[in-house]
Amino acid sequence: MAKKVKSRTTAVRLISMAMTGYYRTLIRPRTHRPLSMLKYDPVVKKKVLFLEATKGGKAK
Amino acid sequence: MSSPATTRPTPPTGETPAEEPLPSPYTPDREAKGAHKQDPTAFSPSRALLQNNPSARNPFLPQKNFRTGKWISPRFGLRQQADLVKLAIRYNVEPLLPLGRKSTEFKATRLAERGLRIKGTGIGQKVKGHKWERTMETRLEDRRKAMMEMPEMIRLWKQRGHGRGWQRWPKR
Repeated sequence: MAKKVKSRTTAVRLISMAMTGYYRTLIRPRTHRPLSMLKYDPVVKKKVLFLEATKGGKAK
Repeated sequence: MSSPATTRPTPPTGETPAEEPLPSPYTPDREAKGAHKQDPTAFSPSRALLQNNPSARNPFLPQKNFRTGKWISPRFGLRQQADLVKLAIRYNVEPLLPLGRKSTEFKATRLAERGLRIKGTGIGQKVKGHKWERTMETRLEDRRKAMMEMPEMIRLWKQRGHGRGWQRWPKR
C-alpha cells in the first residue's frame, strides 16, 4: 500500500511561558522552524512569550 | 439506623459466615463517623449565656416556673428582640441591652462553638479538597516565578533573533 501522504502544513501549539496553561494553536509549514512569538496571555493579563510545544507536550 | 452493616447489602459469603461484621472498606456513613452526634448534656458556652436568673429576670429570655413546671415567655419576642438589637447596634448602645438570642455576643459564641463542628475547621484538621485547590499554591508560585523571569527571557529571545538562534529552547 502506498504511504499516507503528510500534509504540507501542521498544527502546532504555542504555550505561554507564564506557566498559566494558556496556549494558542497555529498552523505552520511542516518544514518551518519552530514558532515563537509575543502574545497576550489573558490569565496574567500581559504580553508574554509563547513557544512552540513539541509533539510530546514539552518545549525543548 | 443501628449500625452501618445492617443497612448495607452484604456480599454473598461462602462456607464460612463471619459472626462479626467486618468494618466496611468504603467510606463510612455520617452516623458511623459521629459527625452529627451531639451530647445534649454537654457543656455549651452559648447555652450557658442564656441562663435566666430568677432573682433578676432577663426580659429577653424565657423563665421556667419550677413549681408549676410551666415556661413563662420572654417579655419581648424574638422578632422584637431582633429589631431592638439592630437598632442598638446602629446607635452603638448594644452593651446596654440584656443578653438574648439576638445579641452579638451570643451569636459570636455560638458561631465559635459551631465552627468546631464543621469538618476541617479545627486546629490541625484539614479536608482533602479538590485537586485545583490542593495544587493552587504551587501553581501560583510557579506562575509568579515565571513572570519574574519573563523580561529576561524576552530580552534573550529578541537578542537571539526572535528564537532563530536558539539551539536549546528554554525548559518550561
